[in-house]
Amino acid sequence: MNAPVTSFDAVSVAVLPPVARFNLRIAPADLAVASRIFGLTLPAKIGEGARNGDRAAYCIGPDEWLLHAAEVDQSAIMSGFDTARAETPHSITVLSDREIIIGITGPAAIDLLSTCCPLDLSRMAVGHAKRTVFDYAQVVLIRDGDDAFRLEVWRSFFPHVHGLLEIGVRELAIGL
Amino acid sequence: MTDFRVEGRGRVNRAKPVSFTFDGETYRGFEGDTVASALLANGVHLMGRSFKYHRPRGVVTAGSDEPNALVGTTRGKGRFEPNTRATIQEIYPGLTTESQNKWPSLKFDLGAINDRLYMLFSAGFYYKTFMWPRSFWDSVYEPLIRKAAGLGKAPTEVDPDHYASRYLHCDVLVIGSGPSGIAAALTAGRAGSKVVLVDETAEMGGTLLSEPSVSIDGRPAWDWLAGAMAELDAMPNVRRMTRTTATGYYHQNMIGMVQKLTDHMGDVPEGAPRERMWRVRAKEVVLAQGAIERPMVFDGNDCPGVMLAGAAQTFLNRFGVLVGKQPVVLTSHDSAWYSAFDMADAGAKVVAIVDTRESVPQALQNDARARGIPIHLGHTATATKGRLRVAALRINPVHNGKVGAEKMLSCDAVLVCGGWTPSLHLFSHTKGSLDWDAEAKAYLPGHKTEDVHIAGAGRGLWGIAAALEDGTKAGADAVRSLGGSAGAATFEVADDRTGSGITQKELPTDRSPGKAKAFVDFQNDVTAKDIRLAVREGMKSIEHVKRYTTNGMATDQGKLSNMNGLTIAADALGKEAPQVGLTTFRPPYTPTTFGAFAGYHKGAHFEVTRKTPIDDWAEENGAEYEPVALWRRAWYFPQAGEDMHKAVARECKATRESVGIFDASTLGKIEVSGPDATEFMNRMYTNPWTKLGVGRARYGLLLGEDGFIRDDGVIGRMRDDLFHVTTTTGGAARVLNMMEDYLQTEWPDLRVWLTSTTEEWATIALNGPNARKLLQPFVEGADISADAMPHMSVVECTVAGFPSRLFRISFTGELGFEINVPARHGRVLWEKLWDAGQQYDICPYGTETMHVLRAEKGFIIVGQDTDGTVTPEDAGIGWAIGKKKIDFVGKRSLDRPDIVAKGRKQLVGLLTDDPKTVLTEGAQIVADPNQPKPMKMIGHVTSSYWSEVLGRSIAMALVEGGFDRMDDRLHIPTETGGTVTAKVTGTQFYDPAGERLKVE
Repeated sequence: MNAPVTSFDAVSVAVLPPVARFNLRIAPADLAVASRIFGLTLPAKIGEGARNGDRAAYCIGPDEWLLHAAEVDQSAIMSGFDTARAETPHSITVLSDREIIIGITGPAAIDLLSTCCPLDLSRMAVGHAKRTVFDYAQVVLIRDGDDAFRLEVWRSFFPHVHGLLEIGVRELAIGL
Repeated sequence: MTDFRVEGRGRVNRAKPVSFTFDGETYRGFEGDTVASALLANGVHLMGRSFKYHRPRGVVTAGSDEPNALVGTTRGKGRFEPNTRATIQEIYPGLTTESQNKWPSLKFDLGAINDRLYMLFSAGFYYKTFMWPRSFWDSVYEPLIRKAAGLGKAPTEVDPDHYASRYLHCDVLVIGSGPSGIAAALTAGRAGSKVVLVDETAEMGGTLLSEPSVSIDGRPAWDWLAGAMAELDAMPNVRRMTRTTATGYYHQNMIGMVQKLTDHMGDVPEGAPRERMWRVRAKEVVLAQGAIERPMVFDGNDCPGVMLAGAAQTFLNRFGVLVGKQPVVLTSHDSAWYSAFDMADAGAKVVAIVDTRESVPQALQNDARARGIPIHLGHTATATKGRLRVAALRINPVHNGKVGAEKMLSCDAVLVCGGWTPSLHLFSHTKGSLDWDAEAKAYLPGHKTEDVHIAGAGRGLWGIAAALEDGTKAGADAVRSLGGSAGAATFEVADDRTGSGITQKELPTDRSPGKAKAFVDFQNDVTAKDIRLAVREGMKSIEHVKRYTTNGMATDQGKLSNMNGLTIAADALGKEAPQVGLTTFRPPYTPTTFGAFAGYHKGAHFEVTRKTPIDDWAEENGAEYEPVALWRRAWYFPQAGEDMHKAVARECKATRESVGIFDASTLGKIEVSGPDATEFMNRMYTNPWTKLGVGRARYGLLLGEDGFIRDDGVIGRMRDDLFHVTTTTGGAARVLNMMEDYLQTEWPDLRVWLTSTTEEWATIALNGPNARKLLQPFVEGADISADAMPHMSVVECTVAGFPSRLFRISFTGELGFEINVPARHGRVLWEKLWDAGQQYDICPYGTETMHVLRAEKGFIIVGQDTDGTVTPEDAGIGWAIGKKKIDFVGKRSLDRPDIVAKGRKQLVGLLTDDPKTVLTEGAQIVADPNQPKPMKMIGHVTSSYWSEVLGRSIAMALVEGGFDRMDDRLHIPTETGGTVTAKVTGTQFYDPAGERLKVE
């Protein structure tokens, strides 16, 4: 997908290319197994993230992880989990097409997100992820840096969320 | 035009004159003026007409509590706003304002005839006058009341402005920037807390802006204020916000605040938001809202020129405007004496200070005499003279309860002070209790339900030193609650104006109190007499008095009128005020625009509109849409000249004769996965799942605990431990939530996990005898022949090269497939099928055709043919219940006596005697159309369509004991007064044997 970018000095909003995305549900006791298959130590605490190259994992529930990987690795990852299923029960679901990713970067990134997200984002650590809402849409928010966030939103809610972000970018550019 | 501006006074920018208009006339003020201060500087007091009696009214206050000076403002095309408070609206070059509630002009208003008829318009007037005859209500009374009701003109154009929203988090939110608020903010800010300080006006300082003669820490008040502001601005952890009103205090320290961004600007940046709604989550809140001055209640107290003494002091010191050159001060509180002194020192000839108290501190009396101001202690005010502007005040001495001889005091303003009311509106929103202070005759904050601190005049304290000290304490308390500690701060205050006073009911008079127009609520034109009448007529609670008289209603929300009204009602009842109660303050604190509440939710963002990956194609091909839950779905695809009926008939025919293509992407999809998936499915759904083979699909029925149908959908078994569950479009989120609820609270031991895949897949349905022929060439990795892939099965394969879960199922009765592919490929696959389908005259169809085709087969739509009171047996789908199952959600309810009783409403078919007549969905059904009215309704039509394939209408209906009425004739009354007769049948109208599924 081409990446339309709405950008002003303070903040820019870009549609990012798709990734292989998985929802992993597994008992926390079995986390080591999942880490081995995925090739990345999965974080154990809700909100925490881990990242290595194009592999990333975010703990977003007591037994729930959001996994990212390169698209070409999708089927290999699924096969890896498939092999382990009999021994170690879990659920892994491909969601590469469910969400669209929006990148929000710039000094006013938190201000922009605060137009519609009720969380105190200043308290969110870099590298962490949260499942929250943006206006009426459920989203997952990932903080990549002090001024850099990614927002994952279900495909059909994307126009609503993206449109609101664009309104917010223009509002911040006016500076009132 | 006289100039009432005083040299050397006020904070307006004399270097920047500003012209604006009021009722077409141009006036000059300065940058920093409000409409009210600028008009007063030009000698204009008359700013409006009252609501009920159309009495001339002038400005009463200098702030957001203003009841009278409500004007219409125009900020350009579509930007008219009624009821803007002239005391809040700042002037800018080109601002256009107008007075309200007058015709033909403000000075001569024909509506003032109501004032002459005031004896007719007493409390409860509407209830008494508009009772009889009953037939007059709809045609005469209601339109009349509606026409007369409301103040100002409602805007008629769409608001072109933008409104913004923002969430904000802080440690300490300080509301109000008077001395106590500033002290609290300084204390918390210095301690390192994240502080937000807000004020509703354009400038911070509150009382300090009206009291420049006080000195703090050896500096004049305004120098100290500037220093405090500079210190706050230098702290990175403090944010100051002006023109920002905290309008509502909600649960767990969530405060709604509205910030006016552009209403004060002549030159508004293109696209700038007009206002922003801040939703603040504060760990601690300091309420430093001060106190509201009380008017005095006496005959003629609403004459323009009669205003609050504190307001006059503010207009003088903050805006440099004398509200009159010969004012009389009428008071029962020391504070107004200082107003008199400031007026005198600024050059006004203060006619007299009239105090209802017999004893007043000697120092004040000495200060008054030193200025040559005559003093009348122990006096009452009994009338004013003047209509468009006060010309004289009539006063009388009161001794031992006896009102003595009158004395007329000529004047051009009457400055009143009936005491001060702590502003408790926001505290009251928290449902904190209010305690009655019998000595101060005021309600003060009592038990707190939130993490809130009240400081200064808001809790009855008086004087700047006390306010600073209390604000410091509140700030330190807030910091301490956060686990920190605040350094001590003390302030040296000199020339502080401390004082006290009394409050009272309507002032005693030597004339008939029944004839006095002594206003309690200026905005709603409620007089003392109205309140006493309400009590006489049986209103014993203040809540009833309020509703009977309208005292304290509308935008006032009791700011000026509540305590005076309560005092008078209590007196009339012979009780203490707390026994009569206090009306509830409700958000918003001040009038708030709808735009601020709506925020970004307008136009395309009014509500989420979910669209499928194939939606664009439908739009390009002329689809009409219908909303289904949050989705918009293609409803039908009209061709040139077709109406809905013709388009749907064509789509139905094409699908049954060859092949139709349908976007089913909105169907909810849930991945149920894990070793206990089968057990979980057995417990959730009525159907048995244990023996369903991998690669097979089954219709699943979901009940609530009550045994009534909640949802349904086809469920495919992908693996032993994996089910692909589909739900209705509107039920997707609800079903997932219900499943998670049971899983987490009832069966946490089950090893099964749920994931929504609704939007992972785009789903395309192909239906019709040529469906397989069209699909087959695209499929790799699966044999979809009739033998290899029977009806109700599922296979993983590729379709047009895309990974797919391919179902053979049918919601039409025809050979049918549903192809799930990753969402991004949905439109590409659709177009490939569309192109290849041309050889079969493929027809895209929408939800209406889908509804007709399923109704011809008697398939139900949950929520249309069911309404939350329908069991599987009622709907004729008892076969979907696994009879041997030990349990499933709703099972036990199916044995309840009322569920198994005879005569329940059951889903049946209806065929009208006239095959051309299509019944109206929702129409009621009777057994005998000739029975006397009111007739007994025995059911209603749930689904009704024209069936092209049958060449006649069909309908489904829920009818009492319907299964026992087969072949009976029932009657359906129509809107036009006739009745339609229909025969009760089964619900399978077309191909009941299911032969059409068996296409080779």
